[in-house]
Amino acid sequence: MTTPSSRDLEQLSTYLDGQLSQSDRTRLEIRIKSDPALASALEELRQTRAFLRHTPQRRAPHNFTLTPKMAGIRPPVPRLVPVLSWASAAAMLLFIFTLGAGLVGQLSFGEAATMPAPNTFAGNSAAAPATAAPATIAPVVAAPAPMLPATAIVPSGGAANTPTPTEQASIMAVEQATPPAVSQAAQLQSAPKIQQKPANIWLFIWPALAVLLAVLALLVFWLNKRAFQRKNPHS
Amino acid sequence: MDESALILDAQHGDLQAFNTLVLAYQDVLYNTALRILNDDDQAADATQEAFLSAFRALNSYRGGSFRAWLLRTVTNACYDELRRKKRRPTTPLEPETADGEEVESPSWLADPHATPEESLDQAELEHAVQHCLQNLPEEFRAVVVLADIQGLDYSEVAIAVHKPLGTVKSRLARARLRLRACLQGFRELLPSAFRLEEESNL
Repeated sequence: MTTPSSRDLEQLSTYLDGQLSQSDRTRLEIRIKSDPALASALEELRQTRAFLRHTPQRRAPHNFTLTPKMAGIRPPVPRLVPVLSWASAAAMLLFIFTLGAGLVGQLSFGEAATMPAPNTFAGNSAAAPATAAPATIAPVVAAPAPMLPATAIVPSGGAANTPTPTEQASIMAVEQATPPAVSQAAQLQSAPKIQQKPANIWLFIWPALAVLLAVLALLVFWLNKRAFQRKNPHS
Repeated sequence: MDESALILDAQHGDLQAFNTLVLAYQDVLYNTALRILNDDDQAADATQEAFLSAFRALNSYRGGSFRAWLLRTVTNACYDELRRKKRRPTTPLEPETADGEEVESPSWLADPHATPEESLDQAELEHAVQHCLQNLPEEFRAVVVLADIQGLDYSEVAIAVHKPLGTVKSRLARARLRLRACLQGFRELLPSAFRLEEESNL
């Protein structure tokens, strides 16, 4: 009877768990039968393992489930999204409106310089006092005409003699700004200067709003994309 | 829903699926941490940390025993906790009496469903095991807790402690030998526990 070596004890432990190879197991079983020290060591290891297996299992003191905050999951961008998601549409409308406003501004400029122009469109050029308007202005008025179908080009019926609000404003401005004694030619020259200032401000504001809304739309798109990727990292 | 489907959903960011897995494995992880750390609060912290790490690293799970994979996270969390404990030693698990003597069978260890005799035995058994485990080196302790207390096979233990199979066998044998010597001292105190093991050998 010899004291088992550490290698023997390791083999006994592995044998106990049924993890020895077939050949090692056969050899060890022969030795165990012939060596009481090995048999005793095996029995003690078996008792130790059984003792440990009877260790009581405790219940978890509380649930360890994760909250979205703990897991670092943020809810999809709240509240502002529904509002801002319209930003792209609004930006598009403003952009179109800006183009339109720019053209209208150009038109107003031309109309203010050639006040009787509507009469010309109405085919009453003979009675117009400004038929001798500079030839260079006429193309300016005529050029955008196909792009403005409703307001300037096709005044129907009596509407030909009814000035548009812009025209009306320019007429009123001219009337207030110039004394009656001033000649009509002088009125025609001063009108564009008075009209030009407010039109220029709006021509800056509208594109700026359009750009701002477009940036907001991009921001919303990016936030949505990020939220989606957080929720579905593999997509 | 089966475990594979839950894991797949959790890997796609489904927190509810992951929490279903948490509920299924929280007792195993907590008990493992408790036996390694020998402290309720630290075991709870390590378990929570392990589940958090597991959720973050879920995409690194490539199949195999999910239990072993989870136990690896809790074993790592326990090693971190032990390192922290070495830097800042804390009070032991066992409460003390007014005279400063250790209470060997604290009332909170009792199982309300057991008879008084069983409760006493279980409490003593737990105390004996815990006491002997604390005398083991950390790496031996983790292996024997996983193999003999949690019942993992060798390959699962190898995954959980991230060591080769040969190292696991060697450490487990050494741990059992050390525990054998320690637990023999409790044989007289726990006759019923030893009766149980003798019956289980039959």
